[in-house]
Amino acid sequence: MSDPIAVDPHRTRDRLLVVAGAILIAATYSYLILSQPAEIAASGTSRAGLIAMAGYLVGAVLIAAGSVRQIPTAVIAMIPVAIALNIVAGQIVSTLSLTVYLDSIGTVLVSVLAGPAAGVVTGILSNVIWGLTLTPIPLPFAVVQVVIAVLAGLAARAGVFRHVYLPPLAGVLTGFVTAMVSAPIAAFVFGGATGGSAGAIVGAFQAMGRSLLEATTLQGLLYDPLDKAITFTVVGILIAALPARFLQRFPFARTYRVFGKGPLTRTPTTSAG
Amino acid sequence: MAPALFVDTGSPVHRLNPVTKLVALLSILVIVFALPQWWTSAIVVVAILVPAAIVARRARALAGIGGRILLPIVLVLVLVQGFTFPGGRTVVWQWGALSLTAEGLTFALNTGARIVALVLASVLLVVTTHPGDLMSALTEHGLSPKFSYIISSTLQLIPSFRTRADGILLAQQARGLAIPRSPLRRVRVMLPLLGPLVLGMFTDVEERGTAMEARGFGSTVRRTALEAVPDSPGQRLARWLMAALAAAAVVVPLVQELL
Repeated sequence: MSDPIAVDPHRTRDRLLVVAGAILIAATYSYLILSQPAEIAASGTSRAGLIAMAGYLVGAVLIAAGSVRQIPTAVIAMIPVAIALNIVAGQIVSTLSLTVYLDSIGTVLVSVLAGPAAGVVTGILSNVIWGLTLTPIPLPFAVVQVVIAVLAGLAARAGVFRHVYLPPLAGVLTGFVTAMVSAPIAAFVFGGATGGSAGAIVGAFQAMGRSLLEATTLQGLLYDPLDKAITFTVVGILIAALPARFLQRFPFARTYRVFGKGPLTRTPTTSAG
Repeated sequence: MAPALFVDTGSPVHRLNPVTKLVALLSILVIVFALPQWWTSAIVVVAILVPAAIVARRARALAGIGGRILLPIVLVLVLVQGFTFPGGRTVVWQWGALSLTAEGLTFALNTGARIVALVLASVLLVVTTHPGDLMSALTEHGLSPKFSYIISSTLQLIPSFRTRADGILLAQQARGLAIPRSPLRRVRVMLPLLGPLVLGMFTDVEERGTAMEARGFGSTVRRTALEAVPDSPGQRLARWLMAALAAAAVVVPLVQELL
């Protein structure tokens, strides 16, 4: 099962798209971090907002375009449920104005079960559909879902979800990365005002003499690790509750023995469908 | 959720090809972010978005939805940046340790105007375009059918999520579950209901994948559309013009800077 689509003629093109998208996202982040301290004093009229939006969005779109063909139909059928979970949980939590978002439970779940490619598509489309139905505010943050999906997929491959206590730790690490990546969007697209309490914290850091980008980064570092730790823990609980028959349907989970040492996972060639 | 936002008034804006509206939205976003002064966004809102909303007879919906989304953000933006903007020098108004600075307000004005344009343009697209039409049109233009399946399927799924949640709640109440009045304790009672909801939704899709595969969903052959979305040469030209305008908004200031 490790190489079911080796004959796919689009494989190289898909890989190139993903690599190009990843490079674009990394380049956008580095450029914004390196060039901003000088530009920040301008009264919101710098082009940093355009670069943050365009670089991140185009990068996310390239990665999604390169990932979608790799996803088997059984996983495609599951993705809408995961997206609905992301949006419903995220919207409920955002109306309660807590200091967490919980808008990536579905992304992490799909990434862990079916691999990062499927997780990336789940994450990006979550924010797109959120934009199509309720509010366009999450749309610029689509790239954050890409980061979450990739890191969750790597964590699953490394065997984090075989243990009870490791998912929260992986979540905290993911949270540090997403805080860094999302800070330029919060700063240059939204001016730090992404939500009630987050805005107040950005203001507090600015009042302490931090720049806007530093303030949104610090605010992210306060919020994201906790949020992602909860998300990864919830996914761990969900996986424990899902029937083993369901979990073993996914080639990714079987190949990398995501759920540990059960008899089915030890022999990845066993067809468990 | 989605159908509640989209109401078909049959106006010329509704009848435009969805791709034209999407290109218009993207061009507007590029323009307001490439020319980041507040008056660019103001011109876009006053000269394009508001007239389009009036022609579409959806101005009230646009104002309602847009206002609900924008009010908290703009309020936080003005307060936070007005009082704590790092580059703030000129004090406009002082209240104790808090001082409102002109630079902070300018920053809030420039950033806020862009957010207003971004939100209003997106909401206008959503209230005048049926998501299904948008997906068909994009698939005709080469979008992978997998994307359109996921998006259309999710839009139908969210209401059924709610129906199922209500069903589980009623079943639990029939077994004697009391729902308390206070919201915090209500959350605590609701939490155990999440398990069956989420797990049920995921195990439901088990067979769907097999059924889709049996009907050739995974095939990569380009198929013709059952319902062709109307398009016109004029709109095709307009799309290219809007894209060119957006590109010019990015390139011209750069060239001016370099010269």
